[in-house]
Amino acid sequence: MDKYYGKFGGQYVSESLMNTLDELEKAFDEAMADPSFIEEYNYYLKEYVGRETPLYFAQRLSRKYGTKIYLKREDLNHTGAHKINNVIGQILLAKRMGKKKVIAETGAGQHGVATATGAALFDMECTVYMGEEDIKRQALNVMRMEMLGAKVVSVRSGSNTLKDATNEAIRTWAKTAEDTFYIIGSAVGPYPYPKMVKEFQRVISRESKRQILEKEGRLPDVVMACVGGGSNSIGMFADFIDDRGVELIGVEAAGLGIETGKHASAMALGQPGTLHGMRSYLLQDDDGNVQLAHSISAGLDYPGVGPEHAYLKDSGRAKYVSITDAEAMDALMELCRLEGIIPAIESAHALAYAFKKAGSMKEDDIMIVCLSGRGDKDVNTIADYLAGRGYLN
Amino acid sequence: MNRIENAMAALKEKGEKAFITYMTAGLPDMEKTKEIIKVQEEAGTDVIELGVPFSDPAADGPVIQDASYRSIQLGTNIHKIFKAVEEVRNEGCEIPIVFMLYYNTILHYGVDAFVKKCTQAGVDGMIIPDLPFEEQGEIKEALRNTPDAPVLVQLVSPVSKKRVPMILEDARGFVYCVSSMGVTGQAADFHKNVISYLEEVKAVSKIPVMMGFGIRTASDVEPMKDIIDGAIVGSHFIRLMEESGYDAEAVKEYCGSFKSELNQK
Repeated sequence: MDKYYGKFGGQYVSESLMNTLDELEKAFDEAMADPSFIEEYNYYLKEYVGRETPLYFAQRLSRKYGTKIYLKREDLNHTGAHKINNVIGQILLAKRMGKKKVIAETGAGQHGVATATGAALFDMECTVYMGEEDIKRQALNVMRMEMLGAKVVSVRSGSNTLKDATNEAIRTWAKTAEDTFYIIGSAVGPYPYPKMVKEFQRVISRESKRQILEKEGRLPDVVMACVGGGSNSIGMFADFIDDRGVELIGVEAAGLGIETGKHASAMALGQPGTLHGMRSYLLQDDDGNVQLAHSISAGLDYPGVGPEHAYLKDSGRAKYVSITDAEAMDALMELCRLEGIIPAIESAHALAYAFKKAGSMKEDDIMIVCLSGRGDKDVNTIADYLAGRGYLN
Repeated sequence: MNRIENAMAALKEKGEKAFITYMTAGLPDMEKTKEIIKVQEEAGTDVIELGVPFSDPAADGPVIQDASYRSIQLGTNIHKIFKAVEEVRNEGCEIPIVFMLYYNTILHYGVDAFVKKCTQAGVDGMIIPDLPFEEQGEIKEALRNTPDAPVLVQLVSPVSKKRVPMILEDARGFVYCVSSMGVTGQAADFHKNVISYLEEVKAVSKIPVMMGFGIRTASDVEPMKDIIDGAIVGSHFIRLMEESGYDAEAVKEYCGSFKSELNQK
């Protein structure tokens, strides 16, 4: 079935959303086939987001780890991460469909900020759903969204975090789909969302491929990205999936360690389930209730994973590994000191595995790591972590 | 024959409209759930929807979300609910019971095993709000392969439109007509075209048409009483039980008078 990736994906939503999803799929397919839509999307990516982003050869890291490490600098995008690529695409689609309002869910607030930004740019009414717990943890991003004119709704339901904010956004959407467009930030949700997010993030790998061919005259050996729901990683993989010689590695968050149960590696335990409109791997307890994820990185703190990733794992095309909080923080500090780049904690997970992987690579081998976002938003978390560990002493 | 289908046939015979309630299992505890089931059989409730609490009830409004959350905190799970149903059946309770649950609970249990267990425990139907028609292949196969399996109750919404005939083609038991867009429990805030929508569904349906979402009293459904075959009360019923401290008399009184008011000519 075309709404599926192998046995994953689908549309596990209430009946009242089925026609909406159908309309959305048609509108999306038409837009993608319309050169003027693509032109407009590319215009905003260039002039507003600041693309293309550099594929930076990390000299000092490469020397230290004995292999060629390139960083795809999504952290240099407007609003500080790859999230804006997808928001621009979806909001242009919303506009094309005649919708006046947009809603979004957010955990750490990055997707919320990106959506609020796009809504300001295109003069749309914007409401962002955010768990009460996350609102407390991410006060700065709440303020950013409000400055940009968005309304932030505090969600008090279940665990008061991202998964509950997503449920609330789905509920609101089911009520208001006639005039409201739901902008999902990750490669999750009911079909066609995983496909839309992939297409709007594909620019990451399209640029990377051209850039590496220019710089090295050949394809990379390894491409790597962190995986929460999986939006930067599916974008980073997209144009390399058909290049069988390129090894694709997704890095999930192992939190305090898989064995502790406090982690966010939906694929590590390999249990399929349904949540947020999709069938995919899902963290769940003995009764089939969704389990809370844990990661120091709010952006990876999600109990599920995009259905195409579940499929890439099962088909063996991509490999998924995990990195603990501590490993990610070490990698983060290392990038600060060796390259003068403060990465998002999410992206530091990919870096940490890159450093491990480098051990089995040769000097002339090439690895591309997606640096999905910058770490400014994480400074408080980093400070707390370092204080607890006495890292800087 | 299935208890729901029996009950529907009997209602048709008597020319009566059905009164259906929803309650989250395990509140305040499983003993009380069993008692309320039995009390309702006496009071004249026609079908009970028993909510299996799930951590992420995306089709439910605040009242049922909150009830689900509390029930899970109290340790309710699908095994205990099966046991409770078996127990009321062993005690001679014959009221039709429909599970209202999210698909992950079934997937996690194993689709075939779940259907078999329902059949054995005495569950007569399932309503799965996050399993639209297109995703029902797997469960329908399990239902077909199990003798005396429960029926899968189909939901339709005010925006289902052209989808209605497809959804109702092989539907059994009754049709659950969602009265408004969105989620459960938005006090009598029915969709603006609710009458024509119900008429359209009624015209297509070969089985009884029930209306749910946002209903509190029999007077809420007065305007569409001649179209529908019954009414479903969920969030309001939960609130009523909470406020009365799960008082059996209060439940009896509410169910009894709703049922008789609904059937006043």
